[in-house]
Amino acid sequence: MNALELRNVTKRFTSAGIPAVDDVSFTLRSGEILALVGPSGCGKTTTLRLIAGLERPDSGSLHIMGQLAASPGHFTPPEKRGIGMVFQDHALFPHLNVFENVKFGLKGQPAATARETTLGMLKLVGLENFGERYPHQLSGGERQRVALARALAPRPVLVLMDEPFSSLDADLRHEVREQVRGILKAMSTTAVFVTHDQEEALFMGDRLAVFQNGHLEQVGLPEEIFHDSATRFVAEFMGDSDFLPGVVKADGIQTELGLIPQKVNLPVDSPVEIALRADDVSFDQSNPANALVLACFFRGAYYQYRLRLSSGKLIHAFKPHTQSIHPGTSVHAYISAGHSVTVFHNGVAVTRH
Amino acid sequence: MALPQLRRHYNISPRLLFAAGLMALFVAIPLVYIFFRAVTGGAEVWMRLLQTRIWKLLGNTLLLTAAVTGGATLVGVSMSFLTERTDLPGRRIFRWMLAMPLAIPPYIGGIVHLTLLRPRGGAIPQLLAEWFGQPVPTPSPLGFAGATFILALFMFPYVYLLSGAAFRSLNASLEEASRTFGRSNWHTLWEVTLPALRPGITAGALLVALDVLAEYGTVALLRYETFSSAIFVQLSGRYDRSAAAVLSGVLIVIAIIILWGELRLQGQARYTQMDSQWRPAPPHHLKRWKIPAFLLTAFVVFASLLVPVIVLSFWSVNALLDPATLASIMRSGSQEFGDYIWNSLWSSALAAVIAVLLSLPVALLAVRYPNKLTQAISRFCQVGYAIPGVVIALSLVLLVNRYLPFLYATPLIVVMAYVLRHMPQAIRASESALNQLSPSMEEASRTLGRTSLQTIFQVILPLIVPGLLAGAGLVFLTSLKELPATLLLRPAGFDTLAVRVWIWASEGFYIQAAPAALLLVVASAAPLYFLLRREQIFR
Repeated sequence: MNALELRNVTKRFTSAGIPAVDDVSFTLRSGEILALVGPSGCGKTTTLRLIAGLERPDSGSLHIMGQLAASPGHFTPPEKRGIGMVFQDHALFPHLNVFENVKFGLKGQPAATARETTLGMLKLVGLENFGERYPHQLSGGERQRVALARALAPRPVLVLMDEPFSSLDADLRHEVREQVRGILKAMSTTAVFVTHDQEEALFMGDRLAVFQNGHLEQVGLPEEIFHDSATRFVAEFMGDSDFLPGVVKADGIQTELGLIPQKVNLPVDSPVEIALRADDVSFDQSNPANALVLACFFRGAYYQYRLRLSSGKLIHAFKPHTQSIHPGTSVHAYISAGHSVTVFHNGVAVTRH
Repeated sequence: MALPQLRRHYNISPRLLFAAGLMALFVAIPLVYIFFRAVTGGAEVWMRLLQTRIWKLLGNTLLLTAAVTGGATLVGVSMSFLTERTDLPGRRIFRWMLAMPLAIPPYIGGIVHLTLLRPRGGAIPQLLAEWFGQPVPTPSPLGFAGATFILALFMFPYVYLLSGAAFRSLNASLEEASRTFGRSNWHTLWEVTLPALRPGITAGALLVALDVLAEYGTVALLRYETFSSAIFVQLSGRYDRSAAAVLSGVLIVIAIIILWGELRLQGQARYTQMDSQWRPAPPHHLKRWKIPAFLLTAFVVFASLLVPVIVLSFWSVNALLDPATLASIMRSGSQEFGDYIWNSLWSSALAAVIAVLLSLPVALLAVRYPNKLTQAISRFCQVGYAIPGVVIALSLVLLVNRYLPFLYATPLIVVMAYVLRHMPQAIRASESALNQLSPSMEEASRTLGRTSLQTIFQVILPLIVPGLLAGAGLVFLTSLKELPATLLLRPAGFDTLAVRVWIWASEGFYIQAAPAALLLVVASAAPLYFLLRREQIFR
């Protein structure tokens, strides 16, 4: 059974305006973590709030654990959905201490059970000695963990997290997200997680759902999203790709960097773009020169070079840090990818042969 | 998204909209009714008033309003600058003492200063005459100059508190930037600091202007005729309701223009708010101005706080030591002193509770569903600021007589006047309390299994109660001091402390009035103290 299923869900905030969430469908299996990722305003947070029941969809349906939660004729309020939510600002109740915050969702349980569960949760997040403290006495990372403990304590069928790490410093963020992922996995929790950070999405998600302008662009494993982007947007957003124009030929794709011997399912002479990451491109100082080194960035283990091709197109290339080439040098650039590259026609990936 | 969404796009709850709309209707009726009566007052009344009274009253009222507002702004801003931004000796204690005159109704301050300065028989002229063996001319507290002095002296704390808050929220980098562009301290103050504080200062000044328009006791005492005192006379003496309605119509138009300006400024006052980079600007060194500045501040505190409190205490002791006076204070007719206290307390407290309860739907609507309509409802409900006590009294007399006769001559009509007049303070307090509550609190409670009603009681209310109490405290404080509406609307025998002070004082029994006046000041000072404690600087 699917833990969560969205079918053609659409949400508009103004009756005439463009939809904030436009015809979105996906499913989520029990125990899986799905990361919703996209630039700000792409509809990922609204999708999360629709799942939580904090917004009503205009059309489409939403099932949680096989039960209808929302459809045009039905709406289950958030308190009846059995979900837990971690808010971007954590939303800890300032008038309750840590223990009472975590216990808040255990209403209706016998006092002793609720107490035991709360203590167990605090122990799980490593805050067993913090029960008496109030939210304002906690650090950002501690608040984060209290918010997670509070959301998990009632054993929700689904945990929703809205940019839960965005209020933390970069160092702390890496540490906390590893802990959070560990806790979610230890409890086999099904979770939906919203972020605008590609790297965080790749780290947290068992699968990723990439959004743009209210559309779901692609759902898939992190590797699929990264190496096999369904649209030009996904390749651009997830992978810092450069795009090189090309033309389909009988034996491959003709580009400025030569013929790529990769057959695609398109008529000859169709215009396409290929996505190139910096590790797909290399260069040397042989002839004929077809690019100029514009800039060189030290990245620790390697150098990243910005090259301008004869056509004016900019692409990037990685090189080991054993040699450095000065900006202004003319070089010969070539594609060094040991794998097939992703090809886009009108912004959509072309299926390979 | 990088920033937490503070506003949500829920569909407006129809029940809430209905409740708030009802509130707007409730406050609108007295206003609209007075306008209606003013316009339909009859051409003959209008002609008579236009030929005789209106121009004189208009001139008097506008002149006094402008003079008091200017004076209070000057005193308020300079006092807040000296206590917040300089190394003035004793500034910590001065900060408190400069806010405290808010607890002294201007007419009580006026009574004290009048008895000291009165041209014939005043304490100071008498003393001077004894010293020099002949009468010495002293400035008279009566008329325009006296009214301006007294009102500015007891109303400047509005400007002082609002501009003080603005001074405190100012980031040091603003003045530093100006200095790096080659401006001196003095130029920086005039070209950068004060312009940046203009919203805060102007908001305080407009509140003063609205209060001057509504003031009755002081101008009547000092024999300076304004719209408020003229309406009062028409109502109580001549009983000419048509003329009173016409005058009220003109007064409300002036007041609403001022209120409109004040409401427009409310949003703008935000641009001095603190952000995470905020750090306080260092105080200026007064150097050789230290002693003049100290003397100036000490004089303001002396005249606005120490003189009234000392004189009232002195009279009170005299009154309590004299058996005949004490007897007349404790019992006048069938009324006892305890009755005045009890009447004051219960009517003001009831008004405070009702005003806060009624403000909740309006505030909830304006904060949670901000759009043009809800904003308009919230502003409309703040129109009470612009309706002087005499006008509220007139409209309630007319309305209740015609439509709710059973309310007439009950204390409830007094409470109703307090609620109508002081509702804006409750609405502002409730809105600011709700504004500090992130909507994600409510959402968190919902996702943890609470219904929306349970959420209100278990999460929202516990968190906003301090803010609501502050609003209730303000309404209580201002209702306690309210004079003209109470005088005009009270049933026979319903005497409050304010009414009793006024009656005794206007009969010339100052010593008799003193204990009640002192009690009124102390009762107002208590909620004021707690309200000030909520501000960081007064801790």
